[in-house]
Amino acid sequence: MTALEELRRPAASLSNPHMERWKENGGRVIGYYCTYVPVEIIHAAGVLPFRMRATGSTSTELGDVYAAYNTCTFCRHSLDQAMRGAYGFLDGLVALFSCDHVRRMYDVWKLGKVELPCAPFYLRFLSVPVKADAAAVAWLAEEFERFKTSLEEHFGVTISDEALRRSIKTYNEQRSLLRRLYEMRKQDSPPVTGAEALEILIAATSMPVEEFNDLLRELLEELKGREGCSDYRARLLLGGVDLEEPAYVRLIEDLGGLVVTDFLCFGIRDFWDPVEENEEPMTALARRYIQNVSCPRMIDHEGRQEFMQQLVKDFRVDGVIIQRMKYCDLWGGEGAMIQWDMRKNGTPCMVLEREYLMSSVGQMRTRVQAFLETIGSY
Amino acid sequence: MASEKYEVHKRMYEVLKGRDTPGAKMLAEWLEGVFHAVDEGRPVVYHSFALFSEVIIALDLQPLCCEAWDMLASRVDPQHPLKSIDAAHEAGIPSEMCSFDKAILGSVMRETMPPPSMIALSATPCQNAYITYQAVAHITGAPMWVSDIPYNMDEQGARDYWVEQYQGLIAFLEEQSGRKMDYDRLREVVEESNRCVEYWLELMELQKMKPAPRTGPLWSGTYAGMTSFGLPSSTAAVKATLDRAKEDVAQGKAAVPDEKARAVWFHFPVGWDTGLMKWMADMGVSVPFVEFDGYRAEPVDTSTPESMIRGMAGRALEVPMVKIAQGATDRYIEDLLYVIREWKADCAIIAGHPGCKWITGAHGLIRDACREEGIPILLYDLDLVDDRVTPEEESRAKIEQFLNMVLDRED
Repeated sequence: MTALEELRRPAASLSNPHMERWKENGGRVIGYYCTYVPVEIIHAAGVLPFRMRATGSTSTELGDVYAAYNTCTFCRHSLDQAMRGAYGFLDGLVALFSCDHVRRMYDVWKLGKVELPCAPFYLRFLSVPVKADAAAVAWLAEEFERFKTSLEEHFGVTISDEALRRSIKTYNEQRSLLRRLYEMRKQDSPPVTGAEALEILIAATSMPVEEFNDLLRELLEELKGREGCSDYRARLLLGGVDLEEPAYVRLIEDLGGLVVTDFLCFGIRDFWDPVEENEEPMTALARRYIQNVSCPRMIDHEGRQEFMQQLVKDFRVDGVIIQRMKYCDLWGGEGAMIQWDMRKNGTPCMVLEREYLMSSVGQMRTRVQAFLETIGSY
Repeated sequence: MASEKYEVHKRMYEVLKGRDTPGAKMLAEWLEGVFHAVDEGRPVVYHSFALFSEVIIALDLQPLCCEAWDMLASRVDPQHPLKSIDAAHEAGIPSEMCSFDKAILGSVMRETMPPPSMIALSATPCQNAYITYQAVAHITGAPMWVSDIPYNMDEQGARDYWVEQYQGLIAFLEEQSGRKMDYDRLREVVEESNRCVEYWLELMELQKMKPAPRTGPLWSGTYAGMTSFGLPSSTAAVKATLDRAKEDVAQGKAAVPDEKARAVWFHFPVGWDTGLMKWMADMGVSVPFVEFDGYRAEPVDTSTPESMIRGMAGRALEVPMVKIAQGATDRYIEDLLYVIREWKADCAIIAGHPGCKWITGAHGLIRDACREEGIPILLYDLDLVDDRVTPEEESRAKIEQFLNMVLDRED
């Protein structure tokens, strides 16, 4: 099996052979719901951080008992999975005020409506600021310190500064390798498609980071000899809400739009900026997590806009697609603003609404086709 | 004059001026203040209902609570907020976002709300609000301050961080306006808002009586908190409501004399169904508590600038909706059950305002908690601004069915 084949596998299901081996060896796993969770602290506790997905879910029947119809379908599916016991491999769960939907989903866990996978189960809700000035960094550094202490107490471990620095270094290496992958996507004929890139990014959050880094290093070598994608009509930036469905990207790419970069949680927003290694670890982590390229939970639209415009330039993007899950308030407002800005700057931009499970495929195909034609006429 | 373009609000102003009540006077003064500021080029500060206006007033800046601006307009032109909502939809804002916020955004786009010189926002009670205010800042180019708020206020250091945010708000307003806070003036303003709070709390206390002296929203308190908190006009408006309620109590009068059941309306009042409370009263049901009136904070200690800032910051956490939206569902449930107990309610009604995902996402938990306590609860879809989502007939049919069940149970 090539490195690419191996890295594409975890996206297909919740579990994967790497995580299963980790569990078989007595390893513990903490699920987390947002890119603002400092995985380095979990890793330094000797626990595997797993980014929560609802892969494999086919209904929201049980989730709907607690989530209303206007809760986004990701949360409804994820809650449904939880209530069906699909996250049996978890030893804990960490969330934060990512959005009004996620915080209420967490409350359902917290108030005992989900049968917890094990006892004692670790549950933690982080208080993460929505702005990124010095006071916010100081607050978050303290919050991360409290998070660290609670992990130590729950799992009976000690997280030394040295361990934390090692974890930071390991995740920085992951970020640096992923940036090398993204550098390759700037080429005229990128060696990976957008769908493959998404699968790789999902793998990055689903297996031990050391194993991922080894595989990614192998992949980067493999890709040097791989024929790139040149048969496309337009180079696209795909942005928006949490997207864990490679088939969605594949559908866009089958129509001739090659996704060369993104503005996604399983994507650039997760790995772009490194943690400063020469600073006191908690402050460095706090700074990185809220001064990193932001998601709309942060009050920083202008920063995001500037960053995306730079991506458009650097990756020679012809058009921007923002996918937004129905009922997502944050991307409802942000998507509209991005569209206003992109159009003002002469970049074609479209907002596509979707549900967690792919549906209305015909309609989506028509809209993407029309969009690609529009790009041609710009 | 520049303010002439706000035609609907000018009409509202004329209506209010013609009424000889303290509540009307308070709102007329507020509108007049906005018009004068626009005409004289004085700074207009947008703020959400989640931030009281004392510091803005103390700096002699003109507060404009965006939610109140649109709500008021609907009193003379019910189509006004709907036109603004449609404008927001046309600009790409999705229909399922909060209609209060869509109306604000649409009003800014339609230029039916005076442009802000600066924006003061609190990152609560929900994300619809802060994404909307970001869009407003983006469109108008106005500088914006956001008071960040820790998710769990019981956490170590959370109160201090929140107080620092309040200090930051003052510094922002000073910097943007080029004015310096006169803390003696702030003391006068806060002492005024303290008096208003005392009356307000007394009024809320009175509402615990069976039968209750008033039913439904106590608009003077709602608008006082949103528009003129810290001005004598707001104190007078709340005091007048209190005095009338006291008089009624003294004379043995009640809002629903034959009070068969009491319901808590645990949300913002419905703006468009103005006859709803009367209609419920005709069924024998009173509403002694509407969450948006449910302010329960203590007066602020005005002895030092520090104590005032700390007190105002603390009080901002008790703002209706903020109190129950900030933090986990447990807080919401705890408060709902407390209110039901204290105001001796037989049931609760919670409108599933489509924008409020923080409530609808907790519907199941709220329902379970009420079931455990044996409290009938109605959770249903109702847009509090836009009657096109659930028309009056449909809304009332649901309430009627529910209240009949409650009344049967009471029998």
